[in-house]
Amino acid sequence: MNQPELIVQLQQGDEQAFKKLVDEWQDMVYNTAIGIVQNEDDADDITQDVFIQVYQSVSSFKGESKFSTWLYRIVISKALDHVKRKKRKKRFAFVQSLFGNDGEEIVHPEEFNHPGVVMENKERAAELFKAMELLPDNQRIAFTLHKLEAQKHQDIAEIMNLSLTAVESLIARAKGNLRKTLTAYYIKNNF
Amino acid sequence: MNNNDHINKLTEAALSSLDNAERATAKPYLFTRLNARMQNANESNWDNALRFISKPAFAFVSLCLVVAINAMVITYNYPEKATTVTEEQYASVDEYSSSVTVLNDIENIEP
Repeated sequence: MNQPELIVQLQQGDEQAFKKLVDEWQDMVYNTAIGIVQNEDDADDITQDVFIQVYQSVSSFKGESKFSTWLYRIVISKALDHVKRKKRKKRFAFVQSLFGNDGEEIVHPEEFNHPGVVMENKERAAELFKAMELLPDNQRIAFTLHKLEAQKHQDIAEIMNLSLTAVESLIARAKGNLRKTLTAYYIKNNF
Repeated sequence: MNNNDHINKLTEAALSSLDNAERATAKPYLFTRLNARMQNANESNWDNALRFISKPAFAFVSLCLVVAINAMVITYNYPEKATTVTEEQYASVDEYSSSVTVLNDIENIEP
């Protein structure tokens, strides 16, 4: 069954088609989500949310863009929402701690290790992920899609609804900012 | 200078640390978990709806709404007679009152 047929069957509510779609795209969705939220459990929740939304709104998919583009957009939007919610919670927890909380300890997660990174690069990748957290959203998305999903600049432009030049500029700025952050980190920690 | 080179090397190494990274794979049984979650969501929607309907406030508001609709229907079907007084009615009242005066005048006519 090719992709357009699969979409048509999915639009007709075929459960087998949905299962096939999940099997085919789950790693892409999970990998993109984990690159943005940097937490395995959160990425798993987002992956589920994404597929539920796909199931509910696939009828609105007109095929004007590629299915993968549509799917990437949903993942990115869900993941960014999640990051924002988490930041809000952190701020709220900080304010609560100023006024004294109920003895509940705020958990600061350890460094994030991407499961797909080879052992010898784990430490460097963790430092890079920490620096990526400081990037503005659009630079972070472009860089993540480029590095983790090996997407071409043209495809990233389509996903982000930007021009090719804009994406190239975003990635260049992201690299520049990451260089600055990492350099400052290495100097500070006397590497 | 050497230290700068060293820092630059570290930075570049970190930047390229994701270059050969494999795709992270989703946790197993995703479809099964998805199915369970969607089923739970459907059930909880019905539960929520039933819980909402069984609230006394909902019953009271519904009753008020039914009474109000009934009242509106009755008012619409049986409108009250117009209470505004037209010029013709004023004219007839004048005529009547003038005729009364005339009668009085007749009674009071001195012989």
